Formats: sequence, structure tokens, C-alpha cells
Amino acid sequence: MTVLNNRISLVALACAFASPTLFAADSSLTNPAISAVLNGYYQTAERPLAETAEGFGLGETELAMSANIDDMFYGKVTAVVEMHDGETELNLEEAFIQTMAMPAGFSIRGGRFLSDIGYLNNQHLHTDSFTDRPIAYRAFFGGHYFDDGVRLNFVAPTDLYWTIGAEAFKGDSMRAADEHGEREFKNVGVYTFYTKIGGDIGDNSSWQAGLSYLRNENGQVTAHEEGDEHEDEAAEEGHDHSHAASYTGKNTYGADFVYKWAPNGNYKYQNLTLSGEYYRVTDFVPSDLHPEDAPSKDYHQGWYLSSVYQFTPSWSAGVRYGEVDTQELHGDHFHGQKLKESEVSLAWHSSHFSTVRFQYTNQKGTNFDGIEDDNVFTIQYIMSLGAHGAHQF
Amino acid sequence: MFSLFNTLCLWGLTVRINSNFVKAAAAALSIACSGFAHAELNVFACEPEYAALAKELAPNANIYSATTALQDPHQVQARPSLIAKMRQADLVVCAGADLEIGWLPMLQMKSANAKVRSTDQGLFFAADQIDTLDKLASVDRSMGDVHAQGNPHIHFDPNRLLTVANALSAKMSQLHPSEAANYQKALADFSSRWQAAIPRWEEQAKALKGKKVIAYHTSFRYLFNWLGIEQVADLEPKPGLAPTSGHLASLLSRAEQKDILAVVVASYQDERGANWLGEKANLPVVMLPMSVGGNDASQDLFSLYDSAISLLNGVK
Repeated sequence: MTVLNNRISLVALACAFASPTLFAADSSLTNPAISAVLNGYYQTAERPLAETAEGFGLGETELAMSANIDDMFYGKVTAVVEMHDGETELNLEEAFIQTMAMPAGFSIRGGRFLSDIGYLNNQHLHTDSFTDRPIAYRAFFGGHYFDDGVRLNFVAPTDLYWTIGAEAFKGDSMRAADEHGEREFKNVGVYTFYTKIGGDIGDNSSWQAGLSYLRNENGQVTAHEEGDEHEDEAAEEGHDHSHAASYTGKNTYGADFVYKWAPNGNYKYQNLTLSGEYYRVTDFVPSDLHPEDAPSKDYHQGWYLSSVYQFTPSWSAGVRYGEVDTQELHGDHFHGQKLKESEVSLAWHSSHFSTVRFQYTNQKGTNFDGIEDDNVFTIQYIMSLGAHGAHQF
Repeated sequence: MFSLFNTLCLWGLTVRINSNFVKAAAAALSIACSGFAHAELNVFACEPEYAALAKELAPNANIYSATTALQDPHQVQARPSLIAKMRQADLVVCAGADLEIGWLPMLQMKSANAKVRSTDQGLFFAADQIDTLDKLASVDRSMGDVHAQGNPHIHFDPNRLLTVANALSAKMSQLHPSEAANYQKALADFSSRWQAAIPRWEEQAKALKGKKVIAYHTSFRYLFNWLGIEQVADLEPKPGLAPTSGHLASLLSRAEQKDILAVVVASYQDERGANWLGEKANLPVVMLPMSVGGNDASQDLFSLYDSAISLLNGVK
């Protein structure tokens, strides 16, 4: 993650953004789709592993540019400006090319992009219905997992939607902690496999279900040496806390579903979205750990269920429950931890392009960053300007 | 691939059915043949009016409409079933002029079907074939959800639609040259029936000329333009935004001029604002079918026009 205090590039992006071609219709090389997402909030308390901090803050400010490069390729760049501890970070969240003309339903994406595992992961944060990702995502994927790598995807020529894909990534943000800097990490650290199916139920309902597997070659934890003092996780990771996974293991298994409903399939006035995901991370225990130090459970797991109802074009309300059940290495032994989050949100949409959200979160923790029973209130705005990209299901 | 199936089908006709096994095999074959023997186009229509037009121009094609007349085509989910259908399409027919900007690019990306990526090949935009009304030199979001390329709801202009039909037929012939003669025949048949219908509709709607309406969105811009009806106000305060109570109150004072024929909404639009205004201002509320399937009477393009005109005539 590069920390740039680079005003020039920000200005350049801002100029590109204000170009007169902004609203022209077809994005092409001379006329790319350019957009920005503005995101700010006030939050009454800290949330563990979250993007948002206590008090006033800016969420991810996105600047995106995309276009068809030529007959064969589509390209997209998404720069994200974030504030952390008073410093401005300019990160690249996406910088990928994708083939558009491969035969037989195949496509290849290369560069930096969001992994297609799970349901939420490939969606941009600004499309979420809650201020932060579910705790399972924050714990296992650092909020959302994007990385440098390559994807091969296939869509089957069937009426029932069926897609399968495989990805290989560098995996730096998914590495297990390495306090002594002695570990030899593999250069290609992460492989994923996923499949999704989906369809309609009559005119009113649509659904999608998926299974994911993530192989993390660098995910298994190495044991602390005798006499090491336990260090706080945040201190270990220092500044780079925002997008690294906190709980890693060699194998991660996931299942996800989403169901959407609208009267007559007309999403403008009312619609309902139900979604849920489950993840289990295994094989994290150091191989040289004494058997008597083994954790009580040899897996981390987390899940959430979410329901969002848009009851008028201008208002939507959501409820979400999520939890994680993890094992944290303290010196030479593991501590069980648990965090449960119950959330309610209410959002006002002045148009399709602006949202103001109020959210209440109750977080109950067991050995989780000292959280016992906290109530958190958040007020947030998310607005997009410029070209408005098409949304995923 | 298709010729292989054709060969199999011909062979299937000569099989003498003398055992249950062969009967079963023949039955399976005939099912396969019914699906593939014609090697017809797979057409993905973004809106039902273009599914209906494709049906007129290629009666044997496999046609799928992504939306119904009860769904707002501006706000469609890029849902899995649509990705699956676009994956198999030879031709994608849409209104264009950015109407589908919120979902069509995502379907193209996800369906990985190279055949329907470009308008040089199997992608067809109706708005590209004609001059749209209300093109804007510059667009700002404070104006609401407007389209710089003009109003995309062009299917209620019979003359523009005929131009689109000619271009669509040519596109079908380009994609599937062996069927070109059949497409031309279907086009000639459609054109003659359509050209005969236009003066009939114009005659029926003569009394509507010069009438004023309040309508929801600019959904019927082309219908009103063709028939000489004037839309003096919009239920939406800005394009794409739902009616607000303040805006409805201003429409009520406009209605007090007593020159309004009716309040018009489309089959996918919320009637509540229109009903409130209709009740307060003592105006009839007419729900017109936005497309084929928008009401029971609208079964194809001809009956869609018949129904819309007769509903408007009904409020005189």
C-alpha cells in the first residue's frame, strides 16, 4: 500500500474529472466514463477492524475511470483516497484490464481487482447498505479483498445462470503476521475458486447462490518464540491496518446467497434484498505448536444475514446481524474470541445518486479488543458524481 | 453445429420405428430438432416493444424480453437470469440513448458474449436509427435523470418505429444471411400492415389534437408529439424523481386553469400522485400501457397503439 502525499496526481485526477466530456454518453478511449464518490461520516465510537473511526471522518473517496480500450479490452482504474491518522493515502483499488471478445463465454481479467469470491466482495463499498462491511469480511478479508493477479471466468450457455472462475493473486494483504521477518512467503500467495448459479422466480423475484474456496499459501500462522511478549494486533500491523486480513488460515470456505424481490419486478418504488454469507477459515494453527497449546476450535468462522427494504424511491431501511468466532494467538497459545454485531440502518435517497444514512450498531464482544456491549451511532453520506456505472446484482 | 443437427433431423425422419428404444431415441431427437433445426436467431430484447418488433420481423426467432411493461426500464437489476440469456444471444435489441445505461453495460461485461458487444455486430440500438426528440447540448444532474442523447421512449412514434423496423430487419439479415429472404418478406408484410394502420390511428385520434395533459415523466413524449397532444406539466419534479407533495400542489394550481384533459401515467408508474391530483382537480386519470403487455388488450404493437388511443379517446 503506497502512501503518497502527492498533490499533483490528485490535481490531475481532479482535472480529468472536470473535463467537459463528463456527461457524454458512450465511454471510449477519448471519452472515458469518469466518476467520483464522496463519502463522509460522524460515528460515536470505535468499531473493531473497521474503515470508519470515531468522530468525524471521510470514508473512501473514489475516483474511477473506465472505458473500452479497443475491440478486445476493457480497462478500469479506481483510485481511493483515504485518511488514516491524519495522513492522506492514495491507493489503487482497481487497475485492471478485461478481455471482451474471447469465445465460448470465457473472459480473463488481469491487474489489480476485487476478487469474485462471495457475494459482497466484488461490489464497491459505496453500494453497500450499511456503513461498514460485516465483521466476517473485516476479519477475514480486510474489509474487501482486492489484489494483484489474474482471473479466468466462464459463463455457461444455459438458461440457469452458471459461472465458474479461478483467480491467482499475490496475496500480500492476506499474509499471516510475521514478526521476525524471517518467513519465506510465496510470491503467488492466494488462489481462489468460485461458482455461482442464479435465476428468476416468476416476474417478482431473482436469486443467486455461490460457493467459494480461497487457498492462502501464506495464511498459516507461525508460532511465537518462547519468551516473546504478546503484542497488540494493531501495534503489530502499525499503519497498514486498513486492508490486511486479521485472521488468516491456509483454507477458507465460503457460501453465499442473495434474494431480491420487487412487486412485478419493478425496482423503482419498492424492493427487498435478503443476503447472507458464511465463511470458515481453517488450518491456521502453527505446525510446530505443542499439542497441549492447540486452540479449542481449529477454525475461525463468521457469517451475516442482511435484509434491506426500499419502501419508497427515497427511503430504505435495513437490518443486519453478523458474528465472528475466532482464535487469536497470544504468545504460544490461542484465545477464543467472539464478536456479535446487530445493526439497523435508515437511508434517505434524494435521487439515485445521493444517500444519507443513519445507523445504529450494537456490538457485543468476548475477548474482542475489550468490547463488551457497545452502542454505536453513525451518520453518513455517500454521493456519486460524474458517469454512473452500472451496478451488479 | 447447426448443419449437424439438420443432418440428424433428416436422418431421424427416415428411421423406421420398430422398437421402444428407437421410439424413445426418435422422440429425444425430435425435441432436439425442434430446438435447433431452424438455427434461428436468439434475440435478447431490453424492452417488450422490441421483443414484439423482433417477433414481427423474425417470427421463428427465439425472443426473450429482459423487462415487462410493468417494470421501469431505467431501473433494472443486472440479474443472473439476464446474464444467462445475454450469454446465449445472437442479437441484443435495446432502445438506446442511455435508457439502459444502468444495467446493459454490466450484462455485457458479465455475459462475456463477444457477439453482442458492438453495434457493428449483434448489438442494435433503436435510438441510433432515428432522430430523438429533446436532445440536450449539456446535461447536469441538477436537471434530474435526463438523457443527453434525447428521449429514448421512441416506440410510440409509428414513423420512427417503421424506420427502426427497416434497420432491425437489415441487422437480422446481416447476422443470419441464409434467412435474409424470410426477414425481408416479414418486413414487407409488417410494413404494409403498419402503413395501413397509421392513417387509421391518426383518424381515430383526430379529436385529441391540441388537447393538454399532465403526465408522469416524458414516457409518452413521442405519442403526444405524433398525435398533437401537449404535455403541459410533469408529475415528476425532475426527471427520475418521484412526485413530491409540494410539486403536486403546484400541479393542482396549474390544473385550476381547467384546460387539462387528463392525468396520464404509464403502466410501470406509481399511480398515487396522479390519483391525488385527479381527485383534487376533478380530472380523469388514465393509465396507458407503456409497452406490449402493459394491459390485457396490448398483445402486440398494433393492439398496443389501438389500446393507447382508445384509452385516451375514452376520457373525452
